[in-house]
Amino acid sequence: MRLTFDRGTLLLEDAPPGVDVADFPGFLWDERVGALRAPARLAYALAAALRRRDVPLTDAPRPRLVPPSGIRPVTLRPYQHAALLAWRRAGRRGVVVLPTGAGKTRVALAALAATRTPCLVLVPTRALLTQWTRALGEIYDGPIGRFGDGERVLAPLTVATFAGAYRHMPVLGDRFGMLVVDEAHHFGTGAFDEALEMSIAPVRLGLTATPPAPGPVAARLATLVGPPVFELGVADLAGSYLAPLERITWRLALDEDERREYDALVAVYREAVRVFMGNHLGATWEEFLREAARTDEGRRGVAAWRRAARLLSFPRCKREALALLLARHREQRTLVFVAHNETAYAIAREHLIMPLTSDIGRDERQATLERFRTGELRALVSAQVLNEGVDVPEAEVGIVVAGRMGEREHVQRVGRLLRPAAGKRALLYELVVAQSGEVRQAERRGARLAAPGRSAA
Amino acid sequence: MLPQGDLPLRLVGGGAFFDFLGPQDEPWLRVLMGELARFEGRRRRELAERLAEPLPCETPYFKRRAATRVLLRLWRRERVAAVPPLEARARLFVAAAADGGEASPAAHVADVAAAMGVGGDALLESLFADLPGERIVRAPEPVPSVAEVVLRTNLAVVQAALMRASTIELQVEGGVRPIVRLAKLRGLLCVVAEPADGGAPRLQLSGPFSLFRHTLLYGRALAELVPHLAWCARFELRAACALRGRIVDVVVDSGAPIFPAAAPTPFDSKLEERFARDVGRLAPDWDLVREPEAVRAGRTLIFPDFLLRHRIHAERRVLVELAGFWTPDYLAAKLARLREADLPPFILCVDEERACALGEVPESLSIVPFRRRVDAAAVLRRAEELTLTARASRG
Repeated sequence: MRLTFDRGTLLLEDAPPGVDVADFPGFLWDERVGALRAPARLAYALAAALRRRDVPLTDAPRPRLVPPSGIRPVTLRPYQHAALLAWRRAGRRGVVVLPTGAGKTRVALAALAATRTPCLVLVPTRALLTQWTRALGEIYDGPIGRFGDGERVLAPLTVATFAGAYRHMPVLGDRFGMLVVDEAHHFGTGAFDEALEMSIAPVRLGLTATPPAPGPVAARLATLVGPPVFELGVADLAGSYLAPLERITWRLALDEDERREYDALVAVYREAVRVFMGNHLGATWEEFLREAARTDEGRRGVAAWRRAARLLSFPRCKREALALLLARHREQRTLVFVAHNETAYAIAREHLIMPLTSDIGRDERQATLERFRTGELRALVSAQVLNEGVDVPEAEVGIVVAGRMGEREHVQRVGRLLRPAAGKRALLYELVVAQSGEVRQAERRGARLAAPGRSAA
Repeated sequence: MLPQGDLPLRLVGGGAFFDFLGPQDEPWLRVLMGELARFEGRRRRELAERLAEPLPCETPYFKRRAATRVLLRLWRRERVAAVPPLEARARLFVAAAADGGEASPAAHVADVAAAMGVGGDALLESLFADLPGERIVRAPEPVPSVAEVVLRTNLAVVQAALMRASTIELQVEGGVRPIVRLAKLRGLLCVVAEPADGGAPRLQLSGPFSLFRHTLLYGRALAELVPHLAWCARFELRAACALRGRIVDVVVDSGAPIFPAAAPTPFDSKLEERFARDVGRLAPDWDLVREPEAVRAGRTLIFPDFLLRHRIHAERRVLVELAGFWTPDYLAAKLARLREADLPPFILCVDEERACALGEVPESLSIVPFRRRVDAAAVLRRAEELTLTARASRG
């Protein structure tokens, strides 16, 4: 009897009569090919179960790539070492939760060095693809494979974007014995989950700073990667292993004309919502948008809402505050966070600081980050590229002009500033328009940052 | 592909019904295309911002969102720059950072612009001119008609729905082979399913992982088939799609007003083309359907080249295949496989000059030998004999 890998699944062929599928959960009868089929992630568990029942198995999937040799050992801080031990004790499956800047990558590199099996690292963005390639290159001299951003190179240590892995896992699924899932909180929602289901790798390590709250998503992530095995928050490490953080929320008043315009826009929008909600109790925002397209009043309401949001994202008061802050911190490495790419370009034109947006190509992005590291560039402005994972340890000052994605985005943004360095104090400015929804958003973000991690509690 | 939130469809019971665009939508589509014309020569992000706001006339919400996305994809984005943007960025931002704030931004712009041989305004205009949102909007040539936009939007809507499918079932007549070829190329499993109610067999296309759950892994491959279906003589596509949080049935058939793929080549060879022409001329009572449907023979699928079907007595059907190079063993095995398959009568036309091994063409009622050109009259005579025999044996 053979257990073979077939495009992200397992096929049980030549099953002798008397093998009861009910004894091996995961298998389903596939009428299309006349064989039993199971998701690839169950490969080792099913092979072990079959062998335990003395079912003769002549062939079973194993990682087809040669294990990498010559990986150099990695030195760890005490809490990183504790995280690694917790993961090993959990059967080499699970998620390590550490704040950005605390060195999650090093934990993964140490796990990889200790496991000595072909490993696929999954990352959400193209920027992280390059960053992980470089990190792996520091402990391993062999070639590093890459899947994503237009590349398809396979090697015993390979980095793939989530999208690249999702698309190519039917052929990559039986090559690796270990998966490292960076920013693992993206999984469990169903979007790319099959990428993890279609791999036979029994060893799995997830990394995140912002794990999903307990619930169906967390449960699914536990099935795919493993449960959280170690967790520390910003509050646990700030001042010791992370740079101490000072937050300054700067409440700004809109200029009189902008305030008038903003209030007028909000009034138009609110009136449209009021009329709609009066007739549609409990309706959703989506329903409002759909209905709004049918009436003049609704159309005006939606247009007003859009313009109000845009006005708030970069009004004159924020413009002036930003100019003052940039001048004040001219000598320090500064990151400016905005809501939209066009705001990033406007700031770039006005203050002559380099934008780092999703539109900027890979080579230019790398060159830009390198120039920032060397000090050739002292400030960067970004809408979303710097939100997650990108390593800019030199950054000392952050200026949040506006955001779109809520508290998780904020935690990630702050993480860019927290990489420790001798004498470093991270400084975060949040520009908030007074008498607007931004005030409450800023308060919620602050509460999230102050929360300790569970392992430290 | 369009996001599912933009699809004009209604969920009723367990089904999703497309709200296809049609002639009634042309007035507001003209207004929408007028908006695109107004932004000719301006930046694409400005156009996108404008189109995110409602139009000045009443529009069906979902149809407008779908059509807007389709139009934005069709309109070109041109890079207009006096200096190479990449170089301009590298020089300007590094120069400004190196100075440490001594000189004003305007002074830096003037210096770098002079070094690059342009004015300050031209430098700033060029700075991001290569980035997608900053490119200049240009209408495609030729500008699509409103009717074409209607068909293209409908196609995009159907494809977006099928992107959310895990398996599709197809009943196809004519032009089935390119569909199966494309499906296999995309790594899909193709099987012929016999419906429990005894209806016509259906081609079932899915991926290995579809067995476990409603996965969207194969959605792109499944959606790619749709524009090719438009060239089939008749088709009916059924799929279960995950739409708006539910799994619903979607049906698309030959009447759907969708934009077709580029026309397939009508015939694989001159031989086929001449045969089709001869049959059309000799036998007005018989219709010749090219690549009619996939049929199952054991564990494999067979794709006959033609179906000859009597125009009045539709039950009189003969499958026809033109064999190229052959050996006696190949022909014998093929005939055996065809007999096993419990098919309608079958005619294999064999070119006697293309034997690849010594031996004669096997004697069989199902084989019509030919030299260089298929004898359409002989095929038709044999079809008459076979279908009358089959009818008599049934009767």
